[in-house]
Amino acid sequence: MSNATAEHPEHLTEDEKQLVRKPLVLNNRTMGWISDYISSIVEGKTPTWWYVSMAITVPLTLMCLALLGYLISTGVGVWGNNHPIGWAWDITNFVFWIGIGHAGTLISAILFLTRQKWRTSINRAAEAMTLFAVVCAGIYPALHVGRVWMAWWLAPVPNANAIWQNFRSPLLWDVFAVSTYFTVSVLFWYTGLIPDLATLRDRCTTKIRKFIYGVLALGWRGGNRQWRHYEMAYLILAGLSTPLVLSVHSVVSFDFATSVVPGWHTTIFPPYFVAGAIFGGFAMVLTIMIPACAIYKPLHDLVTTDHVNKMCKIILLTGSIVGYAYLMELFVAWYSANPYERAAFWYRAFGPYWWAYWSMMFCNVVAPQIFWFKYFRTHLVWVWVIVQFPNAGMWFERFVIIATTLARDFTPSAWGMFHPTWVDICTFIGTFGLFGTLFLLFIRFLPMICMFEVKAVLPEADPHHGEANH
Amino acid sequence: MSSSHEPSQPGSHMFDYKHVGGRFLGLVALAIVAFAAVGFGAFSDTKQFAFSYLFAFTFFLTICMGGLFWTLVHHAVDAEWSVVVRRQTENMASLLIIMGVLFIPLIFVAPKLWYWMTKLPGQDILLDEKWPYLTKEFFWIRAAFYFLFFGIAATWLRANSIYQDTCGSARYTLLNRKITFASLPLFAVCLTFAAVDWLMGLDYHWFSTMWGVYIFAGTALSSLCVLVLIITALRNAGYLQNIVSLEHYHIMGKLMLAFTIFWAYIGFSQYMLIWYANIPEETVYFLRRNTETWQILSTALVVGHFFVPFLLLLFNFGKKSPAFLCGMALWILSMHLLDVYVIVLPALHKAGVVVSWLDIACLIAIGSTLAAVFLKRLGDAPLWPLRDPRLKKSIALKN
Repeated sequence: MSNATAEHPEHLTEDEKQLVRKPLVLNNRTMGWISDYISSIVEGKTPTWWYVSMAITVPLTLMCLALLGYLISTGVGVWGNNHPIGWAWDITNFVFWIGIGHAGTLISAILFLTRQKWRTSINRAAEAMTLFAVVCAGIYPALHVGRVWMAWWLAPVPNANAIWQNFRSPLLWDVFAVSTYFTVSVLFWYTGLIPDLATLRDRCTTKIRKFIYGVLALGWRGGNRQWRHYEMAYLILAGLSTPLVLSVHSVVSFDFATSVVPGWHTTIFPPYFVAGAIFGGFAMVLTIMIPACAIYKPLHDLVTTDHVNKMCKIILLTGSIVGYAYLMELFVAWYSANPYERAAFWYRAFGPYWWAYWSMMFCNVVAPQIFWFKYFRTHLVWVWVIVQFPNAGMWFERFVIIATTLARDFTPSAWGMFHPTWVDICTFIGTFGLFGTLFLLFIRFLPMICMFEVKAVLPEADPHHGEANH
Repeated sequence: MSSSHEPSQPGSHMFDYKHVGGRFLGLVALAIVAFAAVGFGAFSDTKQFAFSYLFAFTFFLTICMGGLFWTLVHHAVDAEWSVVVRRQTENMASLLIIMGVLFIPLIFVAPKLWYWMTKLPGQDILLDEKWPYLTKEFFWIRAAFYFLFFGIAATWLRANSIYQDTCGSARYTLLNRKITFASLPLFAVCLTFAAVDWLMGLDYHWFSTMWGVYIFAGTALSSLCVLVLIITALRNAGYLQNIVSLEHYHIMGKLMLAFTIFWAYIGFSQYMLIWYANIPEETVYFLRRNTETWQILSTALVVGHFFVPFLLLLFNFGKKSPAFLCGMALWILSMHLLDVYVIVLPALHKAGVVVSWLDIACLIAIGSTLAAVFLKRLGDAPLWPLRDPRLKKSIALKN
């Protein structure tokens, strides 16, 4: 019986060598090295690149906040929303960001439940990215309501003002879905941080840092009981997060699909939106992790080419699922023989927004197909370039769904086009600043890789490590 | 199979025919008798036969397509745990060729099932608009293509796998992976459009973009249940004892839970969106199934196909118990049967449930034929991939 994982790789054939599982941590890095290196990113002197990056992202964040202030003080009219396109860039950007906020919890929860050990070196940063993306997403639905000071009406508070929430509206379900997802994701992320925060606390050299990390570590001592409770809590949170990952974007898709608007009302929307969100989320994880590893080069031993390879495969799979959904939509729009359905899709592809439709098709369906080739999945520069297509494509997808559909109402007298204002554009750019700022703060003050989980996948973490012929 | 019939070589990797010799002949005899009865039914009540046969055919087709799906997934994700059960998914998939043969009776009764075939051009604008998709020529070409693909993919993957048992070359693992990558998009296309043609096409006015995914959900789940039953039967007969462990059951139990939820998620999404939008051309499908006595079956489906297995599989206690999982597998399979019944038969009995003896006869006829062929397949090749490069790791699986 041949065994591709035999201990003497020199005796393997070329085919068998291809089947050897790649180690999750390269260069025989030890547990000590992992603690030292990951902590050193937080403990060391603030690097120049960080200041330079913050000098870009903080002004953008401030611009975003200033424009939101302008919007609140002046009214939604400062955006390009019009009749018939009442939902425009605001909901496009909301869905874009909330989609990105899917990969982190997917990696942490679903890959945890399915025992995918390769998740350990990317889950922390991906989860942080999730939270920051949800923060960016949350801005839009809260602000697009117009009179933002009345947004609290969305919450089911006691009936003091004789106002009842419309529980039959998917928009309200969205409020609950996103806020629950955000809450549980924060808890999940923070729970996973506790042992590493304790590591940082124990290594602190200044009292103030020791105090802050000590408070954040919640008295973690790493005892047996604590680990047992931790493992149980993490498993339960993973179990709770898993349906939430799927429910958030399903509910977002209900915002559209429950309507009777041609192009919106289609039954495949829930799984198609979830697949698209994972697709865009993983693209953003790679967009951030590849530069991060380029700056902190030894991280390549933890976030290896094989990790990138696996993420590219997920992008290929989810991109293909999205492609399947696009084609089913097209097919059924034609098959239904409903002239409105047919017109909606014809207009998408050949109307004045044709550029958005074909950009979406190219970026989301065609471009990721290059990941069929291993060379492109393992060449980091290529990967970074290629994942920009899903990043852009997923924005185009939401724009196509929202703007192009609304642009053609049932009666031609209600037709119109959307033109973003400078406020639309600058607010959207500003959300990237906010996202970047939060991520830079995360890198600077928290361990960006889960130290204790990576240690657990080292060969020496196996109780039988070193035993011959085990 | 029962433990009273020990194989001649306990623990052997080859299935012993002596073990089931009489039963094999019994199955063949049963298939012949059942087909004779079905043949009689086909002449006495052709319309009922057409729908009963499609119902039974769809039930078994989904299981066989699921066998191919799990084989493809195994290769695509380079899985370790499923090496020891892969031969059985390959065997299940290999029955797709038989399904191709068993499709032939449907050709003769096609106009009874898919009534668009009886319409002339100009009679219904909605049908005219679907030209050339809903034309007889294209319909049969598509059917031939589906079975051609299913047959080639299943046979090729199984042949390479069996050849590896002798030569032990890792080359065949890599080759099967390549075949899988080429097959996956085609599998999605064939399953989807088979579902559109043969099931959605029962009422050509109705449409749902989710339909292919819904049928896929039932396919993956039902075939997994059959896999659990096959593996347990083999273990009870003395085979696979040191090969398939409770750890493998644990994984299969978790997948059963996952796909139970997936089925419910897809089914709910499809139903809820159609119910909420309340557009007559879409609600027609569910109105028929939610009125008259059909409503009882639709409600039973919600409870039985989702809530019962979900609550029982959610907890850890049963997922490592072969007896428990087999019970769940039988339950879910019966619910899948009900699901297919509620998809197919309301197109015939619009006023309510009418159970026909032909429903059962067709199930027995197709089921016993497939079971007989499956037993033959079992004995044709080792019961697990003997020299798969990941076999050792698979046997030593720890969750």
